[in-house]
Amino acid sequence: MAVALFPMSSEIDIKTPAQLLATETVVERTARFERDALQYTNQLYAAALRYTKDPHNAQDLVQDTYAKAFTSFHQFEPGTNLKAWLYRILTTTFINTYRKDQRRPLISDGEVEDWQLAASASHTSDQGKSAEDEVLENLPDGEVKRALHEIPEEFRLAVFYADVEGYSYKEIAEILGVPSGTVMSRLHRGRKLLRTLLMDYAKERGIGGSDGM
Amino acid sequence: MECNEVMHALILFIDNEIQDEIQVQTFQSHFEECIQCLTEMEYERQVLTRMKSLLSDECCEQAPEDLQTRIAQQTALLAAQMFSPTQIITEYRRTETTFNGETHIEIETTHEIRRDFPLS
Repeated sequence: MAVALFPMSSEIDIKTPAQLLATETVVERTARFERDALQYTNQLYAAALRYTKDPHNAQDLVQDTYAKAFTSFHQFEPGTNLKAWLYRILTTTFINTYRKDQRRPLISDGEVEDWQLAASASHTSDQGKSAEDEVLENLPDGEVKRALHEIPEEFRLAVFYADVEGYSYKEIAEILGVPSGTVMSRLHRGRKLLRTLLMDYAKERGIGGSDGM
Repeated sequence: MECNEVMHALILFIDNEIQDEIQVQTFQSHFEECIQCLTEMEYERQVLTRMKSLLSDECCEQAPEDLQTRIAQQTALLAAQMFSPTQIITEYRRTETTFNGETHIEIETTHEIRRDFPLS
């Protein structure tokens, strides 16, 4: 009786990417994963912080995400967006692991059509404009992040993926596993909330609004 | 295109989410004619750009070094788990039959693939 390890592929042959994947050995796949996926640790950690809001859980979330990503790496289609694929796994890992025991009602995404900027229903007054601009310019460090962490999770993630990562509505929809219209609604509401929070904060601290606004 | 239509879809325009070229041109020609909408669009775009830059500056935390190490170790461990339990056990059975001075040899081969993996 002979015991042999799974044979390595050694044929020289022209193969399609799908065929290459099918014959890829564990060693080859591991090397590809280390080369292509591990470079996103910082970005994944920054994203994970938006989900968990605390560094300890964020580290665990990133580590679990990489474990899942590695064991299903053969399902990743080369040539597509690897970082977005990792963000998708991050999202499902968070939902399955970290949110399981803290069930809470999700914010209603009911009025999907309610996404246009409320401020735009009428033109903003010039006074309001200069005040807001002045506030944003004079915010102390860390204030925007603090405000971001105050808004509901669904809104926060939409804002993060759109305004930090620069993804399109469609890409965010794929990462979060929700329809594009929902992304649009969450993004709009999230941005609006963020601006309101920052303006309120500034009003309390007397930042900007020299005209007493 | 009316002002209220432009205002209604302004954020889509600013986010570059309007795919249809002709529609984009409709917006642009409205902005050429309507200073109020143009001002509003430029203002919203400016605030959004500022918000994006503030957010990007603050949401770029570096992963701790020991997290990087743990992930590297975890990957190596998972790879080892995937690799080692995958065995092909090959059995040969050799049957030698001699009849009328002629020897007939039969070799029968069976393969058994053992895998403890994948995890899921």
